[in-house]
Amino acid sequence: MKVALLSESPADEAALRVLVAALLPDALQYVGPGYRARGWPNVGQVMPSVLRHLHFNTDAEALVVVVDSDDSVVHSPAHDAPGYFHPQCRMCQLRAIYRLTTRRLPPAQGRDRVVRAIGVAVPAIEAWYLCGRDATVSEAAWIEGQERGRLPYDRADLKRRVYGTDRPSLVLQTAVAVREAERHRRDPRRLENDFPGFAALAADLRRMPPRTDAR
Amino acid sequence: MISSIAFRNFRALRNTQVRLVPFNVVIGPNGSGKTSLIEAVMRLSTLSKLGLGTGEVETKLPGGPEIDVTFDEPFAGVVVHMSCVSDVRCDALRVGVRDVGRWPELQAELGTIRSYVLDHEALARVARRGDGAELGRTGDNLAAVLAHRRDHAPAAFADLTGEMLRLMPEFRELVLTELPEGGVEFGLRLIDNGLVPAAELSQGMLYLTGILALAYDPDPPRLLCIEEVDRGIHPRMLRALRDLLYRLSYPQASGVARRPVQVITTSHSPYFIDLFRDHPEEVVISHKHGRAATFSRLIDRPDLGELLRDGSLGDMWFSGILGGVPEEG
Repeated sequence: MKVALLSESPADEAALRVLVAALLPDALQYVGPGYRARGWPNVGQVMPSVLRHLHFNTDAEALVVVVDSDDSVVHSPAHDAPGYFHPQCRMCQLRAIYRLTTRRLPPAQGRDRVVRAIGVAVPAIEAWYLCGRDATVSEAAWIEGQERGRLPYDRADLKRRVYGTDRPSLVLQTAVAVREAERHRRDPRRLENDFPGFAALAADLRRMPPRTDAR
Repeated sequence: MISSIAFRNFRALRNTQVRLVPFNVVIGPNGSGKTSLIEAVMRLSTLSKLGLGTGEVETKLPGGPEIDVTFDEPFAGVVVHMSCVSDVRCDALRVGVRDVGRWPELQAELGTIRSYVLDHEALARVARRGDGAELGRTGDNLAAVLAHRRDHAPAAFADLTGEMLRLMPEFRELVLTELPEGGVEFGLRLIDNGLVPAAELSQGMLYLTGILALAYDPDPPRLLCIEEVDRGIHPRMLRALRDLLYRLSYPQASGVARRPVQVITTSHSPYFIDLFRDHPEEVVISHKHGRAATFSRLIDRPDLGELLRDGSLGDMWFSGILGGVPEEG
């Protein structure tokens, strides 16, 4: 399957390459240079253009997007109700951007549309890296902290726990990202359980239609 | 090193103060005092080498420029006051009385301060072989500095070239060529074996090489000023640039065992500023009000968290919400 990635940093992209390869039911081939956004809300701003570019100018079959939630509203099962959209939930926002962008695109490059897989790391991708290593870090713990008005950790805390510093170099970030993604690749069930924002990405990827020679 | 600088009547800096941390990026419109801040630091360095004035500056020029500098530990008790004694003599330096005893030690450290305005044409020049102990202000002896490092600090040179080749993967070797009459030039050998002399390297590659020479200096100064640090660098390479600068200011985070180097740099790139979202304490904003200018710190902005929910730091700066934009109309 031909897949394009849209992420917030080269380190995130390195982790995604490992995780996507583990979850896709088909052989994987990456398209494009590794599309990049400068954090939120830039991801949502560039995503329509990336989708249109992939649709018309490439033979990509899927776009994988992962963003940090930061302190936005965390996606919940209630948001998945038909027709529901939470304006402060980044999962809802990205899915809506995808729907709106692809709705009127005519078929191109031998397929109807580029399918999507979207994940949201709560509150940052470093939390995924700590999954299975630090029992205090989970999406549930973060949501509970939001509800109590007292967050259990912040982005800097997570960075210190993962990298030993809140100013890691990109080289260190990338090395750790790949190492932790490889760990989850062997058995992603814990990550899916503790981080529904990753489980949503995994479900999207597993639903991808198998590639056929006719495409 | 320096914890704060207060200005009175120093160019556009009529009456303002700035607190400094280990790493500082100063953003603001042209003519808003960014370069003046660096010039004040360099004046401090220059005057400290000339020796210490004693007692009160009794002949201080009324209404003339005055600069007060305070320091972090172990020099927290020292206050340096700089002023002019006449229209043509601005070399009065007085050290506060709280801890004059530490002055000689501080004086030695102030003497190491360096300031850079790197220039791509200068960086590519043939240099004199023996002129490589310290990179010149524009980088015009870069080839000699690289040769000096190779000969006198091989481990630091290996680290530098390793990082350079990682950041510019189309190359496989840094080549230093000795020329007749004591000259030296550098070039980069391509993976496919072709040699690109410095004069034919892109501006961005030359700037990056200059920054690498500073970041991997085995004997760095205590304070380093770099103007327009992002010049010529592709936006996707700015993170690597920030990492190089952090290597100076936060060596422990990079696994380097040496004292931190305080860095003051300026930028006009919203993309570079984006990289400081998690460390707003490192961003200084210079504001222009007619012919006067003031400084503020991004961290002091009480609604910063809310602002960053809706946009990137660079976008917020460009919009004008944070100040530090040119006056129009």
